Amino acid sequence: MADLIQLLTNGLALGSVYALAAIGFVIVYSATGVVNFAAGQFVMLGTFAGVAMLLNAGLPMPVGYAAALIAMALFGALFYLVVYLPLRTSPVVTVIIGTVAIGITLQNAALLTFGSWPFRLPSPFEGMMIEVAGAVVSVHALAVVATTAVMIFLLWLLLHRTAIGIAMRAVAQDVKAARLMGLRVQWLLAFSWILGAVLAGVAGLMLGPMWFADVNMGDPIALKAFAATVIGGFGSLPGAIAGGLFVGLAEVLGASYISSAYKDLIAFGIMILFLLVRPQGIFGEPIQDRG
Amino acid sequence: MALRVLALAAYLAIGLALSVSVSEYTLRLLNLATISAVAVIGLNFAFGYAGLISLGHAAFMGLGAYILAILTTQAGWSPWLATLPAILGTGLAAVVIGVPLLRLKGHYLALATLGLNVSFGIVAANWIELTGGTNGIAKIPGLSLFGHAIEGERPFLWLSLAVVAVLAVLASFIQRSRYGRAMMAVRDDETAASMTGINVTATKVSAFALSAIYAAIAGCLFATHVHFISPDDFNFAHSITFLSMLIVGGEGTIAGAIIGAALLTFLPEWLRVLGESYLAFFGLMMLAILIFMPTGIVGLLSRFRRSAKREAPPAPASSGEGART
Amino acid sequence: MTINRRTILSLAAGTALGAAIRPAFAAGEPISIGAVIPTTGPMSLSGKQYFNTLTMAEEDINKAGGINGRPVKFVIQDAGSSNSTAVSAFMKLIQETKPPFAFLTSYSTQNLATAPEVVKAKIPVMYAGGADAVAESSNGWMFRIRPTDSLAARGMAQFVKTLKATKPGILYIQNDFGQGGAQAAAKLLEANGTAPVGMEAYGQNDKDFSAQILRLRQKGADVILTFVYPADGALLLRQIKALGLKTPIVASSASFLPAALQLLSPADLENVWGVIDTFVDASVGGRMTDFTTRYKAKFGQDGDAYGLAYYDGALLLAEGLKKVGTDPEKLRDFIASQKSWEGIGQTFSFDDKGNGVPGVVVVKAKPGTKTIELVERIRPS
Repeated sequence: MADLIQLLTNGLALGSVYALAAIGFVIVYSATGVVNFAAGQFVMLGTFAGVAMLLNAGLPMPVGYAAALIAMALFGALFYLVVYLPLRTSPVVTVIIGTVAIGITLQNAALLTFGSWPFRLPSPFEGMMIEVAGAVVSVHALAVVATTAVMIFLLWLLLHRTAIGIAMRAVAQDVKAARLMGLRVQWLLAFSWILGAVLAGVAGLMLGPMWFADVNMGDPIALKAFAATVIGGFGSLPGAIAGGLFVGLAEVLGASYISSAYKDLIAFGIMILFLLVRPQGIFGEPIQDRG
Repeated sequence: MALRVLALAAYLAIGLALSVSVSEYTLRLLNLATISAVAVIGLNFAFGYAGLISLGHAAFMGLGAYILAILTTQAGWSPWLATLPAILGTGLAAVVIGVPLLRLKGHYLALATLGLNVSFGIVAANWIELTGGTNGIAKIPGLSLFGHAIEGERPFLWLSLAVVAVLAVLASFIQRSRYGRAMMAVRDDETAASMTGINVTATKVSAFALSAIYAAIAGCLFATHVHFISPDDFNFAHSITFLSMLIVGGEGTIAGAIIGAALLTFLPEWLRVLGESYLAFFGLMMLAILIFMPTGIVGLLSRFRRSAKREAPPAPASSGEGART
Repeated sequence: MTINRRTILSLAAGTALGAAIRPAFAAGEPISIGAVIPTTGPMSLSGKQYFNTLTMAEEDINKAGGINGRPVKFVIQDAGSSNSTAVSAFMKLIQETKPPFAFLTSYSTQNLATAPEVVKAKIPVMYAGGADAVAESSNGWMFRIRPTDSLAARGMAQFVKTLKATKPGILYIQNDFGQGGAQAAAKLLEANGTAPVGMEAYGQNDKDFSAQILRLRQKGADVILTFVYPADGALLLRQIKALGLKTPIVASSASFLPAALQLLSPADLENVWGVIDTFVDASVGGRMTDFTTRYKAKFGQDGDAYGLAYYDGALLLAEGLKKVGTDPEKLRDFIASQKSWEGIGQTFSFDDKGNGVPGVVVVKAKPGTKTIELVERIRPS
């Protein structure tokens, strides 16, 4: 029983990270329609923004976090200008390949800048553990879960209660109509990229202390985030959370009760199954024109 | 038509000229490029004609390669004989997978096929008794023709050039046949296509199976060329590379598939002179190609050709010779 | 093919420039030595070490007068993380540099894929992939400068006996190294009458090992053998401690690399033994201390046992070049004939399959510190 609780808490912590990574991806997707294959590299950059600010520049934690997130916001704006704007009228596949290409550049640029050794990013809750019903949970993991919940709430407020958020949703639904209504569409799209990058930055900063920072960490995270997005429902924020937690739990419980060698087959198998049986995922968009 | 024959003749002439003049290393890259070309010509059926975004193409190549490798190394089959089950088995697998999967469109299909590719890798890495696990399968015998072993880069290039030529001609016939036109009709508008009596599902599945068969042939070539395969050789990154080759070369065109395969095989090798940062530059260059040549290299070439035609009066009415050569 | 010419020209220019700024310790036509090592991708963690130690070896050899007055030049090509890239890089070297000798990567599948080309090129190579299969396809040209995975597994199985454990559990990374090592260890443990109670795998990119660890605990494992890479090896040790397991751990060499140790706290290393290639002990004095101090000064990191293997390999090669010249066959025979060549990290003794490292060592951190000490040397007969 204690083991089961342990597995559940670890699965939830793992799933929260996937969820956090998936949210940044989903925000960009719902606003711009871009399937960003560099999403994993965004998270990697977030972690390394933390490495640069906290370890290399030696900034104290709150300042370092803020500086890292500002750096990510700038990166999001740059990505909008250099990658999204030139490719915005290209077909889906061209954009996918474009994000893959820039992902290769980002990963290798990080390797050249930070080297190949992994880093250990400090946590505000360094070494703190608590025991729950025989299971040991790190406080940092709980903080990840809490941060994820707070981020969702803030995002919900932003999208439903602020003018900019409502405008963003209008752009996501119909760019032409939004433009006719006098919305500054390009600014809103740029803001979506910035928001996506900052969210990836949060994910990166949260997972750095749990997993170490390593320049090759991007693609595996992206794969899990994709699975989470599909299972939860493409374009849905609650879906990204549900999907992320689901993938995290499937990974840990699958390894425990089925087979550790084949556990990733479970996550991807369920993803394919969802696509076949319920392509809109748990909460997702009704699939019509985004096909 | 004349242009097609000319292009094929030019392709073979360039290939043969290169095969007797360049170094062993360049020959190897040419072999990799031609093997990729086979796979990418196949991918062109699924994506270029039928509009199916597949990010699982490397898994079909791997399936073909593994069937051949297992039959030759464990059951002692001759490699030629083993290509039959490899190709047919892979085609069959594509049909079985395609029937449920191809109802998906766009990036949904892309992610589903990506998931398939990842799953293939997991099974290949863990079914150790059959696949040798992550250690892969070594000592795969090479092909031989009329008692001559096709060993070494140069003879192999002759074989692979011939294979590409035959498969390209075949693809060109299919493209202009009823089936090819049906695929493109389905890509452009499914509803309209089904109203004209086209069986949409059957068309998609056959395009998918055809692409898998080409991938399997590429897999057989790959296995008999390097004599060693492991799950890493067929991971999802290779699927993305194949799709990139097609886009960079010019989607919907056979020439584009061949040119794209060659360019993306050689580009990173050429960039090695840049030292440590060569892959970072590779990514940037690919992005630049996508931005500045949205219709790929072939699209750019045919644009030149068309504007040249416009300048030369009187322009003869070219029939159907558009971007899709 | 202008690019090819340009490549050669720029290489030539690079050589000329290098020769011009190099102090005149060694003059004359340089001898080019090839190296195909991973400088990009996930394998670059170790690859960077090889890059550094080979650069250092090049300088050291040339400072000491080169090869009978001729300088050596290491031409390094990236092997990336795919088999195909490694083979292409090797062929590029053979074609453009025509080296009498080359170093290959430490990734077994890349070694296996490159093996047929080595035979064609007819030059001796040193490699560091651990899979036994590489030596099985032994063609006389390939020399292994690190212990085989099965030797490391034998060392681990033997140390399980020393620990008097009877219910070993195995945890391994799902790649050629982990699978091979785990299978070899399982067979040996079974032969010792202590068959493993459980074998658990994890993916190369996994970040949570709680399921695997808890399964081994449920099965009552009284020692856990781990076959790991550096970053995941460190993460695994931290999670084992976080879950409160007191079970002794016998870890494969990557856990004790500096790249992994810098991620760990002393507490993570309690009750952990490492079965490693060689003990890179900066305090031992002599050539070892010289190597470690200079490495640290030059690259700002600690040198590791894997990098040292390539450094030793380069010195062995230099001796061969001095004694028998650049003829590949003579060079091959020279290396093959070494039965007790004293390197800094190893005493190399090549068997008929080209395996050059006959033993492993067991190390442990001193209680409450991250200072590593030698426990015993294992040289299975």
